[in-house]
Amino acid sequence: MHAVNGTLNPQVWIWRVLVAVALVLAAWLVASLDWSRVAPSWQFLLLALGRSWWLAIIAMTLGIAAAMPLALLRVYGPPWPRRAATLLIEAVRATPELMIIFWVYFTLPVVTGSQVSAWNAALGSLSVIAAAYLAEVLRAGLFSVPAAQREAARALGLKPVAVFRLVVLPQALRNMLPALIAQLVSLFKTTSLVYAIGVMDFFRAVSVTNNAVYAPYPLYLVLAAGYFVSCWTITQVVRRFDPAYQLLD
Amino acid sequence: MDWAILWQYRAALAGGFAITLAVSALAILGATLLGVLVGCLRASHSYLLQRLTASYTELLRNLPLIVKLFFLYFVIGLPALPAALAALVLHQSAYIADVTAAGLRSVGRGQFDAGLSLGLKRWQVYRRVILPQVVRVMLPPMTSQYVSVIKNTSVVALIGVADLTFQTQQINVETFRGFEAATAATLLYMLVAGAVIAAMTRLQRRQVMR
Repeated sequence: MHAVNGTLNPQVWIWRVLVAVALVLAAWLVASLDWSRVAPSWQFLLLALGRSWWLAIIAMTLGIAAAMPLALLRVYGPPWPRRAATLLIEAVRATPELMIIFWVYFTLPVVTGSQVSAWNAALGSLSVIAAAYLAEVLRAGLFSVPAAQREAARALGLKPVAVFRLVVLPQALRNMLPALIAQLVSLFKTTSLVYAIGVMDFFRAVSVTNNAVYAPYPLYLVLAAGYFVSCWTITQVVRRFDPAYQLLD
Repeated sequence: MDWAILWQYRAALAGGFAITLAVSALAILGATLLGVLVGCLRASHSYLLQRLTASYTELLRNLPLIVKLFFLYFVIGLPALPAALAALVLHQSAYIADVTAAGLRSVGRGQFDAGLSLGLKRWQVYRRVILPQVVRVMLPPMTSQYVSVIKNTSVVALIGVADLTFQTQQINVETFRGFEAATAATLLYMLVAGAVIAAMTRLQRRQVMR
């Protein structure tokens, strides 16, 4: 790509100049903004970004724990439980994320009669969302292991549980690792929606700061940078494991 | 449970549903046009175009939808509906660009050369040889992209567009009948998603049989 007949492709130079210009412009933009009103809040904002990360990581963990039985039911289960698991997964996947968050926060207390805290509602709804999507990732992972592997292990005298634990699961996990990490990017972006029910995540922290000190331009830059750097970091991890993996949402 | 509340609020729900449908349709159209264009540039042989389009998708995919939405609405100051549409189109176009680029790359260079050597003109090769193969590869991932757009439209409720999610919230605030309203809204969203999936599956079947 770089060397064409011994000389450098002129487009490579144009691209480098463009990147340099963009960097200078970005630096100028950052320098020209008035940061004096935002600077005192840096700890509050950083803490909120950490809270968003924390939310995504716990929801991801709970999601995997719930997704495992769902995926197993969908792949190996008897007909009726299998249909129930499929229905549950597809229903969650067809419902807007914001709607699920509202469901858990506003409607569950009406049904159960006890108030749910915003944080628990956020955690619960994000876990439900994660579980449904991760169940599909796990299912694809289980299918990615050829049936011959299972048959061979059975022929060696392993019991079905041992076949699953020692032969199928390790291979499936390796195949689905990029997809699992990609789900974390997706989940991290979804955490921005819990702002709607009042959780002090990064998104809400930035808008609260803006209401207090009114500095929309620097704060918006902080908001975009916080999310971009977080998601981009996870994306790079996916690329390490599988350069060809396609991140879809 | 008081399902009669849905009948009482039928006008609001129908209005919200209509807005959700309209926003979904326009956003799907816009995101497809923009996404396919960017995807074609992405699959081109120009180093500069590849880099520019890669930056485009990378930037848009690593920001949550509501960050873009609030930028267009609060920072740029667009009116609510155009801001909502632009945010949805920009967001999904990045993913559709990737789907398109992958679809184009899936058709080997040999197909193009074989078409030319059979005496077809360049546009005929694109129209008759490349396009049908690309469309076949792209239809399944595009289906899930379109379902994503429909679900994402619910975010526009946050900037006050009176869509289905917004009306559900409204019913909950006014009557505390959020459960009934959310059930109805969820079923309506599933209906739209189901219709899109059915239509795309039909299209896919026709493609395969051709």
